[in-house]
Amino acid sequence: MVKFENVTKLYENGTLALSGVNLKINKGDFAFFIGPSGSGKSTLIKLILREEETTEGDVIVNGFNVSTMRRKDIPHLRRSIGVVFQDFRLLPGKTVYENVAFAMQIVEAMPKEIRRRVPMILGLVGLSKKASAYPNQLSGGEQQRVALARALVNNPALLVADEPTGNLDPETSWGIIKLLNDINQMGTTIIVATHEKSIVDAMKKRVIALSKGEIIRDQEKGLYENEDKNHEIHN
Amino acid sequence: MKIRTTKYIIKDGIINAYRNKLMSLASIIIVTASLLVFGIFLLISVNIKYKIDDVMQKQLQIEVYCDSKLDETQVDSLEVQIQKNQYVSDVRKVTKEEALERCKKLLEENGKILEGYDQSFLPESFIIKIKDPEHIKSVVEDFKKLQGVDDVGFLEDNVVELSSISYWTRIISILILIILLSVSIFIISNTIKLTVFARRREINIMKYIGATDLFIRLPFIVEGIIIGFIGAVISFVITYYFYTTIEGQVSKGIVGENFNFIDINSIVLYVIGSYFIIGTMVGGIGSGISIRKYLHV
Repeated sequence: MVKFENVTKLYENGTLALSGVNLKINKGDFAFFIGPSGSGKSTLIKLILREEETTEGDVIVNGFNVSTMRRKDIPHLRRSIGVVFQDFRLLPGKTVYENVAFAMQIVEAMPKEIRRRVPMILGLVGLSKKASAYPNQLSGGEQQRVALARALVNNPALLVADEPTGNLDPETSWGIIKLLNDINQMGTTIIVATHEKSIVDAMKKRVIALSKGEIIRDQEKGLYENEDKNHEIHN
Repeated sequence: MKIRTTKYIIKDGIINAYRNKLMSLASIIIVTASLLVFGIFLLISVNIKYKIDDVMQKQLQIEVYCDSKLDETQVDSLEVQIQKNQYVSDVRKVTKEEALERCKKLLEENGKILEGYDQSFLPESFIIKIKDPEHIKSVVEDFKKLQGVDDVGFLEDNVVELSSISYWTRIISILILIILLSVSIFIISNTIKLTVFARRREINIMKYIGATDLFIRLPFIVEGIIIGFIGAVISFVITYYFYTTIEGQVSKGIVGENFNFIDINSIVLYVIGSYFIIGTMVGGIGSGISIRKYLHV
């Protein structure tokens, strides 16, 4: 589903964000990218979305070779990925309904299909009653749920979330994470970049830890901190 | 692109123009103001041209005097040559008899001294109407060179002067119109740039969800066209109202008896045409271009 082959990313300002990263995420996985700020997890997400280009190596996402693709193919890549950001990124001039419908309009879905699917997805994230509200009339948690609805409405095989709970209080964060888990149960591959220990520890999913642009740990059912390391320290 | 997408794009453009009321209003005001400045000058220059042409039209006659020794066939061939000139609209022959009559009239009471004279000493001549005041000078020069022409005269002396005024007025007004047009386009497209700048984040988000450049750009173009169109309508209404009002006042004789404007109906198409073309084209193309910068995400 997502494959990084020897990926190096050197930003123009000279920052080495990733060096020699190899990574494979399979269909149906739920993976956390963890690490402190500047560790490279955001760069991983940016490369998946082709917001940035690799300096070396290949990134394969949903069958697209992201590192060699042409500019005009980028929209097709992005349509195959549902994406959620820390700052929600909803269209301020559109209502909740229109924000979700927009993702379907860009893929030229049938109006009938849009009218059927948007209310259904809004129901799934629990926002049926807020369909005609504008984003600035919603709480942070509600906005993130709209973003989630928008990411899901086209039934993407892959959903990428960059610090989805970064702007939310713990309780609301849990709501979002539970939703992500439910979506994963339905078969969608999910990648979440986060530095929230409590969430990672509670979920016990695959953990890919980054530090200074390198993967230092890739562990199934992992925790935020490396248990072995903790053990070493205690000894 | 599918029909439903086209529908969506047009609808979205209209909704956006409505929801970004403040920005749309500001843009409409600026489009209107620019068009009005342009329009006022257009009307002034059209009227000046009209006035000058009007004065000249009445005086656009020259008279070509033939050599008095020419015989009838030579005079006829001269007439044919004159008629061939592209700027000549009408030629009337003045016979020797007529010329004598005219002389007698000119001399009034003293006309008697011509009695007993034969008309043969007088030359035949042609009174010629010229189509375009600007060419009168060159036409006169051409006729002077013709074989058998003795002299060419104007019926009024100031025609030459007026024709050069007419020429320069036209050149200068075209220049000023071009400058004003460029300034309007510059101001309008800058306003659009501002509205696009205010929504760069929105454009950015659309890109992240996988919208194509065209899909993002088209509603902005529709929006720009709508704003330009509304601006054009408002400027036209204002222009029409003030023009007819001023025209009415002036023709009542406030400024002077002899001053009449061009009838608005004869230039209304010019005004509508230029307003709508400038408004919608600049609006549409301007926003299409301004948005480009923000599409590279």
